[in-house]
Amino acid sequence: MNNMNLIEAKNLTLRYGKKTALNDVSVAVPKGRVVGLLGHNGAGKTSLMKALVGLLPVQGSLSVLGLEPTKNRQQLLTELSYIPDVAVLPRWAKVHELITLMSQLQPKFSAERARTLLKRTSVSENDKIKSLSKGMVAQTHLALIAAIDAKLMILDEPTLGLDVISRKSFYEMLIDEWCDGERSVLISTHQVEEVEALLSDVIMLDEGRVALSISLEDIDRRFVALNHDPAAADAMAAAHPLLRYREQGRTTSLFDGAPPEHITSLGQRVRPSLVDLFMALTRNPALNNKQA
Amino acid sequence: MTPTWTDQAPIYQQLADRLAVQLLDGSPPEGEALPSVRALASQYVINPLTVTRALQALSDHGLVESRRGLGMFVMAGARERLLRHEREQFLQKDWPALRAKLKRLGLTAKDLNWEST
Repeated sequence: MNNMNLIEAKNLTLRYGKKTALNDVSVAVPKGRVVGLLGHNGAGKTSLMKALVGLLPVQGSLSVLGLEPTKNRQQLLTELSYIPDVAVLPRWAKVHELITLMSQLQPKFSAERARTLLKRTSVSENDKIKSLSKGMVAQTHLALIAAIDAKLMILDEPTLGLDVISRKSFYEMLIDEWCDGERSVLISTHQVEEVEALLSDVIMLDEGRVALSISLEDIDRRFVALNHDPAAADAMAAAHPLLRYREQGRTTSLFDGAPPEHITSLGQRVRPSLVDLFMALTRNPALNNKQA
Repeated sequence: MTPTWTDQAPIYQQLADRLAVQLLDGSPPEGEALPSVRALASQYVINPLTVTRALQALSDHGLVESRRGLGMFVMAGARERLLRHEREQFLQKDWPALRAKLKRLGLTAKDLNWEST
């Protein structure tokens, strides 16, 4: 299991009636990565995550932690940390009761570790869930599942509805307490700008298909964003950029691969931002077809 | 979320630049250890791999060195080298533009306040 990918998905397809939720999705997640799963609403993020934990049967070949999710669901659920998109902790419960409950349900859960993690937060063990703010509930939930001795964490929109401070505390705890170079985490979100610096890799879904699956390091290498004067706009357009956008009076053209030298010299190379790339690859279906 | 990263350079490069500015201010001093990769990742809320790349960039410039099992340390003479580099950068890149602006505004050295910090 040492050099195996934690997640290995090949040609996953999932249909609900006539709607295709996942269309020939192939992705791999090695160890030690922070992978962002990006997509607009309905792009298939939640379906993919549910398939990964064995909650939805899919066509294709799928291995998670070396297990087949639908066949080995019970075992799998004890070996990974998962927060579903409709995550709710029981409102009536006290935090210490949840710790006891987790100890009974999860063989790999450490109550001691959960208590240590909770000390980072302002949540106390005697607090009732219903007395906590949304941000505190999210932190409690993260503390509970990060106390499972697992190799993989799957978070479906974990910061939805949280204010900016709570989101920051959430991600701080994740980086601090989970990311140790061995464990990986898959996070779905559409707050693309915010998670960009956090990620090592990104998977973009568009209408059930993988629009892009790449490391952030490779994004800097593969995609070229050129900042240029309006006068160069026609020349840039002729070189078929993926996207052009305006910012502070200058225009940026985003290319997949280096454009010809005479084009490159017309602009100044800037960092292609994840949100621009996301817009370019998931907004316009025609461009996506060309991409594939 | 703080801090914000611009689109002018890769994030690891921007972090390396920030750390270099701190080194120039003597934080941490030469011979002392830098915060760990995890501490920096948590402080800036960025991926640990990005931090590693930033530290590698500083190491490539001879500013920090890795001591096995102990982490990264500021090298002797790092501040001096950094200062020399920054001065050169200023004189070559920033000064011509600044000089042109001063000329345009008709400002000379005696019009400028050199005292306040």
